Amino acid sequence: MATRSTYTRKRWFDVSRSAAMLTVAVFALIAVFGSPVFAAKKDPIKIGVLSFLSGKLKPIGDEITTGIQTAVKMQGPVMGRPIELILEDSLVNAQVAVTKATKLVQKNRVTAILGTSTLEALALLPVANRLRVPIITSNSGSAVITGSKCNYWVFQTNPTPQMAVVAMDSLIKDNPKLKAAKWFTLGHDYPWSRRVARSVKIVKGVKYVGETFAPLDTTDWAPFIAKVRSAGATAVVIPVTLGTPLVQFLQQANEFGLTKEATLVAPIGLPDWLIAKLGELSTHIVSAGAWSAWRLEDTVPTTKKFNELYYKMHGRVAGMQAIQAGTAAQLLFNAIEKAGSTDGKAIVAALEKLDVEAPAGRMRFQKDGRMAEVPLILGKIEKLKKPKYGAMYAQSVTALPASKTLEPAKKLGCNLKK
Amino acid sequence: MFINTLNGVVYGSFLALTSLGLSLVFGLGRVVNFAHGVLYALGGYFFVIFLPSLGWWAMLFAPLIVVPLAIAMEWLTIAPIRHRNEIYTLLVTFGLSFMITGAIEYLWGTETTLIKPPVIFQGTVDILGNQFPVYRLIAAGLSLLVTGLVFAFIQFTPIGLQIRAITDDNEMAEALGINTRWLLTVIFGGAAGFAAFAGALGAPIFSVDPEMGTGIIIDSFLAVILGGLGHLPGTAVGAFIVALAKSIGGGYIAEWAIAVLFLVVAAIMVLRPRGVFGRGRIA
Repeated sequence: MATRSTYTRKRWFDVSRSAAMLTVAVFALIAVFGSPVFAAKKDPIKIGVLSFLSGKLKPIGDEITTGIQTAVKMQGPVMGRPIELILEDSLVNAQVAVTKATKLVQKNRVTAILGTSTLEALALLPVANRLRVPIITSNSGSAVITGSKCNYWVFQTNPTPQMAVVAMDSLIKDNPKLKAAKWFTLGHDYPWSRRVARSVKIVKGVKYVGETFAPLDTTDWAPFIAKVRSAGATAVVIPVTLGTPLVQFLQQANEFGLTKEATLVAPIGLPDWLIAKLGELSTHIVSAGAWSAWRLEDTVPTTKKFNELYYKMHGRVAGMQAIQAGTAAQLLFNAIEKAGSTDGKAIVAALEKLDVEAPAGRMRFQKDGRMAEVPLILGKIEKLKKPKYGAMYAQSVTALPASKTLEPAKKLGCNLKK
Repeated sequence: MFINTLNGVVYGSFLALTSLGLSLVFGLGRVVNFAHGVLYALGGYFFVIFLPSLGWWAMLFAPLIVVPLAIAMEWLTIAPIRHRNEIYTLLVTFGLSFMITGAIEYLWGTETTLIKPPVIFQGTVDILGNQFPVYRLIAAGLSLLVTGLVFAFIQFTPIGLQIRAITDDNEMAEALGINTRWLLTVIFGGAAGFAAFAGALGAPIFSVDPEMGTGIIIDSFLAVILGGLGHLPGTAVGAFIVALAKSIGGGYIAEWAIAVLFLVVAAIMVLRPRGVFGRGRIA
C-alpha cells in the first residue's frame, strides 16, 4: 500500500513537473510571440508606390515600379519586417494623384510614398504637410519641387534639368572638339529649350552660330535642319522632347546627313529604351544627363548588384527611372533602419543624415535642402563591345559630381523653415 | 530659300494626297471625316507589319487592308446618320478617331517605330549645292503620281463624272438617278486608301506611332479650307500653300510660322470664303 502510495505520488510528481515545464514554455512562447511587439515585428512595412500604371506613360511607370521591386528584393527585410508595396495608378492626373496618395496614407497606412514623377510630386507638394509621410520622388523635372516650393516631407533623387543645363558647361570645356565647334541650338519652342540655349551661349570661348525653336507638334524637321546646315554648325544641342519627337528628329537629321556633319548633344541624355530603338543612330549623340546610370557599375558595386538583380527579375537593362526609383527605395529603407522606427518624422531626420552607396552612386541629400547630391553622367553613346543586360548601345560614362552642378538649397530658393 | 521651297514641295505632295480624300468625302457626303488621320496611321502600321514578309510591296498592300476596314466603318457608323446635320458625322468620326487610336495602342503599343528607306534610296543627292534625301524625292514623286491619277480618274471616267455631279449638286444628281449612297461608301474607302498609302509612304520619313495622324490631319483640314470645301484642284493648291508656309516660315521665323499660317488661312476665309479658286462650299 505504502509502496503504491509512494509510487503514485512519485508518478504524480513527475507528470506535474513535465506539465508545469510545458505550461511555462507555452506561456513563454505566448509572451514572446503573442505580444503586440512581436506582432508588429511580423507585420510588413507598407510602402505606397504612386505612378503611371496605365496609358501612354505606362512604360515609365513600369520602369519605376520594377526599380522599386528590385530594391525591395535587394534589401530584404527592414527592421526584421518584410516590405509590402501598394501600387496606385495616378492616371496622369494631378487630382487623382492627391486622392490616391490620401488613400495610401489614410486607408493603407503606408510609411512612405515612392515612385512619383513631376506631375504627382507637384500635386502632392501642397498636401504633403497633411499626409505627414516621407515622399521620395525619383522622376521629377521641375525645379520648384526642391527649390522655391520645397517641403519638409518631399525629397528628390533624380537630377533636375537645371543640373543638366549646368553640366553643359563641363561637357563643352572638357571636350576640345566641342569647345572648338560652331554651336547651334535646335529645340522645341518652350522655356526649357531656351534655358539650354542660354547655357551654351554663356560658356566662355564658345562660338554660337544660331538657334531655332520648332513648334511642339512638329513632325517634319526638314526646315529646321536646313537652318542648322546653312549656319554651318558643327555641334548642335537638341532640347527636343523625349519620345516620338526626338526619334523623328534624329531619323530626319540622319536622313539629311546632319549626323555626319555635326555632333548632336542631348542636354538631358537619352533613355536606354530610346538608345535601343535608335541603335546605330544613337552613336551620333553626346549626352549630358542621368540616363545610362547603370554603367556606373564599373566603379559602384551597389549599381552592379542592382543591375544584375534587375536583369534577373525583369530581363532587361535597368533604365534611368528604374535606377533612380531603386535608389529612392534604398534610401528610404536605410533611413527606416537608421531611425529604428516607421514614424514619419524619425525617417525624415534619418534621411537628412544619410550617406550611403546606392544604385545611382554615392548618395546623400544636400544640406538644408531636399535634393539628392546625385552625379550626372556625360559622354558619347557608343556600341558596346559585347551586349550587356540586353543592351547593345550605351552612353560612355564620365560621372560629374553634384558639387559641380547642384547649387546650395538656399540659392535654389528652398527654405525649409518657412 | 531653295532648300526650304523644295522641302515645302515634298511635304505638299504628301499633304495633297491626304487632303484630297478629305475633300472628296466632304464634297460628296458633307462628311467632315476626323478619322482620316487614323486611317493614315493604320496605313503606316500595316506597312510596318507586312514589311518583313512582303518587303516594299507592303506599301501597296497596306492600303488594300485599310480600304475594306474604312468601308465597313462608313457603312456601320456614318451611313445611318448621313442624312442628319454635318455635326453628327463630325462627332462620330471624332469618336472613331479616338477609338482607333486606342485600338492601335492596345494592339501594337505606344512606341515609335523607325523604318529605314530601301537601301537604293538611302543617302542624299546634291541639288544646286544642297544635300537632299533621295527617298524624300522618290516619295514626293509617287505622291504626285497618285494625286495625278486621282484627278485623271475624276476627270475622265464615268464614275468620276458622277462624283463631279454629286459634288456640284447633290440633290440634282440623286434626282438624275446617281446612287449617292453607294458612291460615297466607295469614295470613303478610296480616300482611306490614299491616306493609308501616304501613311506607308511617309513611314521612313516621319516614323510610325499611334498619333502620327494628328499633325497631318490638321494640315490637311487647313488645305481643304484654303482650297475651298469639296473643291479638289483648290485642295491640292491649298496643300502646297500650307506646306510651303510651314517650310519657308519654319526656316526663317520658326516660332511664328504657325501663327503666320493661321493668319493666312483666316485672311483667305474672310476674303475668299469659297477658297483660293472661289469654287468651294461655304459649309
